[in-house]
Amino acid sequence: MEAVSETDVQFWMAKVVNWGEATSCSALLDTSRHLGSLRSFLQQVLQGLQQMSSTSEAMKTFPFVGQFLGRLCWNPCVIADERSQRLLLRCLSCLYSAEPLNAVEQKANMWIKNMLCHLISEEEGSVAHATVKHAGLTPKRYHSEALQKVVSLMTEEVIKSCNGLPNTSARCSNGNIYVMSTACAALVTCPQMSPLIGALLKHSMLCGTSCLNQEFIKEVSEALIRLYLCVFCLSLLHSKRLVLEDEAVVNLWCYSPSCLEGAAVSLLESVLSDHETMTQSLDKHVNDSLLPQASADHCHIFLTVSEIYRNVLTEIDENLAVRALIQVFTVCFLQRLTGQKTQDRLPLRAFFPHVMPSLLPPLLTAPSEVPREAWLDHLIWIRSLLQSVMENEAGEDVRAYQAVFQAWFLLVQCGYWVDTAAELLVLAAPENAEPLLWLLTFFHHPTNRGHQRSQQTAEAREAWTHLRMLFLTRPPPPRHLSAVKELLSSSLSANLVLHLFLNFTVFSHGPVSIINEINDKVLTEAAVKRRALWILASIRCRLNSAATRDDRVHSRLRTLQDTLLQT
Amino acid sequence: MEAVLRHLTNILELLAVSQTDHVSEWDRHTTLRGFQWAEYCEQLHSRFQCNPAVRSALESALSDTNQRLQQALPSCSPVMFSELAQCQHMLLIHLLTNPSAPNSVIPILFPDPKTAAQDSQFDQNSLITCKSAFNLLCRTSDRTSYAGLHVEAVVRGKLLGNLLNSVLSRTGNDEYARTLLDSILHDSAGKPESLYDVIAAALLSPDDETNSVVPHFILAWLQEHDGCLSKLCKSLSPGLCTVISRQSREFKQAYWGVLKQWASCLEFDVLEGLWVPTSDEPVTFIILTDRFKDLLHSGPPLKEETETELKTLKREAGDFNVKGICIWTDVIIQLKL
Repeated sequence: MEAVSETDVQFWMAKVVNWGEATSCSALLDTSRHLGSLRSFLQQVLQGLQQMSSTSEAMKTFPFVGQFLGRLCWNPCVIADERSQRLLLRCLSCLYSAEPLNAVEQKANMWIKNMLCHLISEEEGSVAHATVKHAGLTPKRYHSEALQKVVSLMTEEVIKSCNGLPNTSARCSNGNIYVMSTACAALVTCPQMSPLIGALLKHSMLCGTSCLNQEFIKEVSEALIRLYLCVFCLSLLHSKRLVLEDEAVVNLWCYSPSCLEGAAVSLLESVLSDHETMTQSLDKHVNDSLLPQASADHCHIFLTVSEIYRNVLTEIDENLAVRALIQVFTVCFLQRLTGQKTQDRLPLRAFFPHVMPSLLPPLLTAPSEVPREAWLDHLIWIRSLLQSVMENEAGEDVRAYQAVFQAWFLLVQCGYWVDTAAELLVLAAPENAEPLLWLLTFFHHPTNRGHQRSQQTAEAREAWTHLRMLFLTRPPPPRHLSAVKELLSSSLSANLVLHLFLNFTVFSHGPVSIINEINDKVLTEAAVKRRALWILASIRCRLNSAATRDDRVHSRLRTLQDTLLQT
Repeated sequence: MEAVLRHLTNILELLAVSQTDHVSEWDRHTTLRGFQWAEYCEQLHSRFQCNPAVRSALESALSDTNQRLQQALPSCSPVMFSELAQCQHMLLIHLLTNPSAPNSVIPILFPDPKTAAQDSQFDQNSLITCKSAFNLLCRTSDRTSYAGLHVEAVVRGKLLGNLLNSVLSRTGNDEYARTLLDSILHDSAGKPESLYDVIAAALLSPDDETNSVVPHFILAWLQEHDGCLSKLCKSLSPGLCTVISRQSREFKQAYWGVLKQWASCLEFDVLEGLWVPTSDEPVTFIILTDRFKDLLHSGPPLKEETETELKTLKREAGDFNVKGICIWTDVIIQLKL
């Protein structure tokens, strides 16, 4: 079985011969363009070599390999790329014989030693060699400092050329920027490079024309995405750290829409992948992603991210994790927005262009900004606005449907009001319950699919009644307990019931022991517990930004979360 | 102290042996011990580099051992104190370049990157990455935008300047600093022009322009080496010499001195009506005037100072106003001052 195809071999051999030592700009450009596919080919070669039983066999099976690897060792663009470098060294390591059996193997050993020597030292008699030799530092330290210095010199150069570009229509005068960014494509994962990369990205923002190499942009965005995944998934094993200043990251997003999309999707994926950590500190992670701040500063970023998450929601309808993320993201975004200077602030309408404008003031005002006594009235107000949107849905016209959907999405974004409604339901008198239940039902079931709305509303009321009885009567009546359990396992309104149930657990006034007992009996299945954690995550985020802190409630929340996480 | 000197001797013997065929007897254990000793040696260097008393004791021990080893093993090279900072690297290079080194030793020194820990003693990845990243970036910036110097020279010059600064910041290290420059000169004998660029960058290097320790020292060293200053000035462009003159009064004086010396090598050829070189120095009248032209285009105060200097030279040489008698007259006429 051939590990590498003959056509590939010919292609790559021609390439490496053409590139030489990558001294010309075009050679450098071509190398950087092919780095990704070169890595794949090197991987194949490595796998082929690993299957050989001896160097002689390897040289017979892969006669090109000596020349190929040798030439690559002289191409600094390839060597500087950490991943390619590792592959190259592993290939060389495969070809080395600890016990050479013949002349071929001995020669191979000598050749490999020469290569290694070349990689780690300078040519004798050169100024480079002399200055390094007597520098009083290890070569590693010397080159690390040299790299830092050259990066800072070049960064200064880029910044200086930025200062001459106040408006975006000015033609980029520095053709060197393109060449620099080409070289940087190989170096994005090198930590010392971040000042230069940041400066190049900033330059591109100001310059307006595409004077950065596309490979560079692609590499930077891929490296950033890997970083996000690392940070969120807490696995630093294969992390390639690219540490950029926040401003540079945001510049990258403005420059490359696909990079921004990647960032939004990575945030979502990381949130979904680790519910244990995420449900504990969702707001911190969302803020760390820089997306809320970037969204507040750049309207188009907010619109893009909202669009992505809105699309996701249409795909996976009932996903509580996604809703929690959207809710927390919006809260963080709004907090950043209020932090802005008034003269810089765009009207809210700009950020929510598709939704009925009258919905914005009530929904975008946080519950913490409204006195508690006014919450019920506020929610009634919201309900009446939403109802008027829905009244137009009657025509089953696409536009009408869209209007409802947009309104519903805004409600998801401002989910803190739905949580508030659920909290109020815990202590509400029956005559006040109707609008609150309506909101909850609408939130969990926005469409009238199969005309089930009346049934859903009835189930909501039924659940609420049972929960009141369960939590207000001592001891908790088994009849209501089993009714609640029944409702939780039936698929139609399970999330709604769970939502209500958790609010009762957190906000009702009964003794802790009774409540724990109820929890233990009701929240038994793993899937239910996971969903519960997400609902609690959004409750917690709302309480974090509340005007006053209720310790009793916080400790309830804490205890409940801990219990759910334990098993 | 005795123990330290003994250890130092051991290291040198180790390094010497690693260049001979006796190294074929080394096994894994010996090799690793060798690198441990080399690491210890590096620590010695870093602790005592700027301490004149201890260092000179170490240096004389080194010198003795070097002599002794040269007699016993003529093929091995002497080790200078400054090189001790890279002891492990030296040992590694010796093992890589010595054909007698046992084959089993190399894989120990270059462990499989996949299984080796990131910060293992033998991890060369960050060295290779930094080195090639540095090379790569230097190539992309081939416009000479740093006072006419290539960015690689600028960086190496700055690092050299920093080294000299830290060595000279403690008293009693002048001799050692001189040795460093001597060694660098010796080891780059192949390409002196590149070295001059680095030295120029080192002259320009102090970020704090009031710190004249390093430029002063380098100039003194240049003047000690016969013809070195003149070669340096010849190698550097007129523009660069002007920039350095603006930054350092001392260099300006020295530069003028070199120009005067060049001028003294020119003689007026009556038949041709030109000033022609008399010695091997390839300095012509045009080159000389170009140098002054650049100085005069630099702006105050260097412009005025140079004008004054030329006029003084003309006056001191007899204040002739006719061409062909005094070179300074002709220079002034040529430059239309």
